[in-house]
Amino acid sequence: MGCVGRKRNHKGNHPWAKKGKTKRRIKDLDQIHDDMKPEKADKMLKQDVDYEVPGAAQHYCLHCSRYFISNSTLNKHFRSKPHKRRLKDLSIEPYTQEEADRAGGMGSYIAPKPLEVKTQGVKEDMTTDE
Amino acid sequence: MRLEKCYFCSSTIHPGHGIQFVRNDCKIFKFCRGKCHKAFKKRKNPRKARWTKAYRKATGKDLAVDPSFEFEKKRNIPIKYNRELWNNTIKAIDRIDKIKLKRQGQHIINRLKEGKKLRKEADVREVDKNIHLIRAPGAKTPVLEKKMVEVIMQDDDEDMEDN
Repeated sequence: MGCVGRKRNHKGNHPWAKKGKTKRRIKDLDQIHDDMKPEKADKMLKQDVDYEVPGAAQHYCLHCSRYFISNSTLNKHFRSKPHKRRLKDLSIEPYTQEEADRAGGMGSYIAPKPLEVKTQGVKEDMTTDE
Repeated sequence: MRLEKCYFCSSTIHPGHGIQFVRNDCKIFKFCRGKCHKAFKKRKNPRKARWTKAYRKATGKDLAVDPSFEFEKKRNIPIKYNRELWNNTIKAIDRIDKIKLKRQGQHIINRLKEGKKLRKEADVREVDKNIHLIRAPGAKTPVLEKKMVEVIMQDDDEDMEDN
């Protein structure tokens, strides 16, 4: 073993510090709720070919807002834990400023309603690919 | 001048305090202090952070639904100054605050009553279950039990004498 104690001695010098930067900001849950609306969902799932993003933007997971390189990796992702966790997080009405106001005493608090969220058409994808 | 509510903890943001974040879709998020801003950047859920008002109300810890909450509102129509109205409003605010505080306190007291009841039930259940530790299993009445104890004492004495 080399010098163990000297590594990472600088404050804030860790990979998760970058996560909070607005430069690397990813979509919030309420933005994904917006994407999930039928008209917008169709648009997001049938994007034009764009060679800048992985898989030329043809294999997109709506709920995780991630691009995959192929249909098989996308299907594999649907079976993964992060995706299932994300579905669970999305299965309730998004938090809004209005809810914060109500919680703060501006009107009675209305409890958020549960929503039913399902993975985008998995079967269809499988048939087209294989 | 408008007193906004913090997006994360729902506390009032007074002028000159807090910070606001404008997301790239023009949505504005206002925070009362660094704690709330940091929590937002870490993508914490205000409904799950135990110290926020949203958590307290969503889980039923605090009074959530009450007519006394209907007074504080965002009013977009400016009101012309009127001394009498001003005086009455100040009086009303005082009165409403007192009523609100009383009701919120009562809500917490009622909530704690349930725990007291459950604790008592659990205690009774425990005593019922372990009654053999207090009372001998064979003894049906306290008198019988006393007699049994006497017999045992006598037996012990006899044994002692024999030895």
